[in-house]
Amino acid sequence: MRAIYLMARREYLSYVATWGFWLSLLAMPFIMAVFIGISIMAENAQPTRYYAVLDETGIGFAALIDEELNEGAKEEAIAALRGVAEASGRSDAIPAIEAAINAEPGLEGFPEAVSALGVPVDISAAQFRSNYVRVDPPAGTIDGLRPYLLGEQTLRIDGEKHPLFAAVRFQPGGEYGITAEYWSTNRTSGGLRTSARDALRNHVRSNALADAGISETVLGRIYAMSPGITENSPERGRESSEVNLADRLPFIVGIAFSIGLWMMIFSVTNMLLTAMIEEKGNKILETLLATARYHEILIGKLLGLAAVSATFMLVWGGIGSGGLAGLQALAVAADLPAGDILSAVFDPGLLIPAIGYFAVGYLMYGTVYLAIGSLCDTLQEAQSLMSPMILVMMVPFVIIMATLENPDSLFLQYASWVPIWTPFLMMARLQTDPALIEMIATSVGMLLTAAAIISLASYVFRQGSMGRANASSIKRLLKFGKIRNA
Amino acid sequence: MTETILSLEGVTKRYSGQAAVSGFDLAVNRGQITGFLGPNGAGKTTSLRIALGIIKPDDGKVRLFGQYPKAAILQRVGFLPEERGIYKKMKAEDVIIFFGRMKGMTMTAARKAARDGLERFGLGGEARKKIKEMSKGMAQKVQIIATLAHDPEFIILDEPFSGLDPVNQKMLEEMIRDEAKRGKTILFSTHVMEHAERLCDQIVLISKGRKVFDGGLPQALSQVPRRVVIETASDHDLRQVLGALGAVEAQTAPEGLKGWTIELAAGSDAQDVLKACVEGGVRLARFEPMRAHLHDAFVELVETSNREAV
Repeated sequence: MRAIYLMARREYLSYVATWGFWLSLLAMPFIMAVFIGISIMAENAQPTRYYAVLDETGIGFAALIDEELNEGAKEEAIAALRGVAEASGRSDAIPAIEAAINAEPGLEGFPEAVSALGVPVDISAAQFRSNYVRVDPPAGTIDGLRPYLLGEQTLRIDGEKHPLFAAVRFQPGGEYGITAEYWSTNRTSGGLRTSARDALRNHVRSNALADAGISETVLGRIYAMSPGITENSPERGRESSEVNLADRLPFIVGIAFSIGLWMMIFSVTNMLLTAMIEEKGNKILETLLATARYHEILIGKLLGLAAVSATFMLVWGGIGSGGLAGLQALAVAADLPAGDILSAVFDPGLLIPAIGYFAVGYLMYGTVYLAIGSLCDTLQEAQSLMSPMILVMMVPFVIIMATLENPDSLFLQYASWVPIWTPFLMMARLQTDPALIEMIATSVGMLLTAAAIISLASYVFRQGSMGRANASSIKRLLKFGKIRNA
Repeated sequence: MTETILSLEGVTKRYSGQAAVSGFDLAVNRGQITGFLGPNGAGKTTSLRIALGIIKPDDGKVRLFGQYPKAAILQRVGFLPEERGIYKKMKAEDVIIFFGRMKGMTMTAARKAARDGLERFGLGGEARKKIKEMSKGMAQKVQIIATLAHDPEFIILDEPFSGLDPVNQKMLEEMIRDEAKRGKTILFSTHVMEHAERLCDQIVLISKGRKVFDGGLPQALSQVPRRVVIETASDHDLRQVLGALGAVEAQTAPEGLKGWTIELAAGSDAQDVLKACVEGGVRLARFEPMRAHLHDAFVELVETSNREAV
């Protein structure tokens, strides 16, 4: 036991007692924060885009497009206020919020909606305003507008020069009586194009309904109708059956745990491999073997790196929890359900199986990586042996990603029976309440397979440590297998 | 009564059907310095690994301090492997402390042993230096200190002199003698005969996995035929003059002289050769009885063993 402890301690300190370890540990949340910050900034820093409408139909499509753009802004504003309402326990205010915003043109109903919410928010209507601004066309034809669209000529707006982002032309003709053309050098930003199309569709449909004898008043009422649907759980009584974000969080956290588990095992086993190759290259193993036995070295290394990963999880978990709590104190993130997230993360029903699956998965893959490391003197040598392992490890990750929105998928269920994937895939399925017998059976299969893998990997480790086997031996063995199969 | 610290009895180890050691016997007694000699690939390292329980023999019995070499027994042993390995990113003092603690020392005792050892080997100022920042020789000294830090009763050194410069080789020789004086039992493998000749009480020679000699230094040297080298200005054919005393062969000699080597037959000695030369009227320019060296004994014993194996 003493040798195991000392080996584990040395392995642990060889990582943890370095500046590089703490820098990389703390850099990860920082990098994630930077990524999130950059994407928010990029989203908020969309430039104002000036567009013109050439309406040869006389219907007034410019105003109809404005209406469509405002509709999008209204939807965004309602979604934001609904989030705050759900997070602050004011779901009852949601109908009043929707009514207040829908009652006024544009976002003029926003202040009233905020009053209906009854909770102070750090959100302004300006955040949702469209960045598309309509200008009077500087020319009456597309050919006349072309230099502006190409940036050869600019518009002067508030004393500044701006290019024309897009032009939309409506003409009489075609199957529905009106045709539309969207002109822009930009191929990716499609917000205006969509609004113009929707304006045209709504106009054509309204005309058709009017032709069928439906009055404009009735049409107005029809368009104002916006029935919703509540999601309910049959597991609860009628009074509290409605499902909200807090109910969905355990599923999201379960999937996040599963992905996190995969990433943690993948990165820590790679650290094991690197450490093992370094020891093999430095010829330390024989010195160690004159002091401790193979199993003590193997277990010591596994425990040492397990402690490293525990440090990762504790530090990141601490930063994550602290960050969530800190964010919630900021008005801008008041709608973040930090309490629900934390209670989902620290739910023993999820946390205990996660620790168990991590332990078994880590042991299975860790011993294999150690065995591979014992066979190789360099990382280059290890790479050829690693390729099949990486492929085997990638499969559960791909399955998790493919079934993100469908954790009860039949494919995921079948795949979770493969013992080497069970730790990751059962973790992803845990919140879908799989049958107890299925959980027991997959766990037994996983444990038996883990025992077999650990035993075989330990044998390879013993051979590799003393130079009785190497990467070439394994390749020869695989080739022999191929020949026999042929 | 002499206590046997290590004994291998009829030990055989095969790899892929080929014997690395075969029916090998070895007994190392307390307080002795035993030289374990043999050409490259003779099976020395395999035998030492078996002695330490690192690998299990296919046949035969291993006893270390009277029992099978389990991990607990290894605390009484200090082992310096042939393939020197040390944690390059660790500091010299920490490496010694780590291995000392692995051998059962307390942190305080291991730290003291590390400092004393580093001082003794002239590395007192390098204690906080990382191994990767040290020269190869310095790193090797650190490993030797780590081997001895826990004051083992039995010290096994596999090719300890390789990689050391002559000054450090001398220092290591002195260290081995000091440890022996302190009553420690030492087994070291080498193929540099000079070290073995200067240090060993007992010599074990292995070739192709089989023991070819086990005994004291004089006994080993007695395996080498005694020779006398003669250079003379006379025209005598010494084959006729000295033929009765041993095998005589002509050798090259400086200009104006003739050279001869007499490999003495049993019962003859250098005095007999000198007397025969004087009586035969041979004018001697050089008369040199050659002292036998372990190197010659080694070559002789290995060649004889190889011939017998054929």
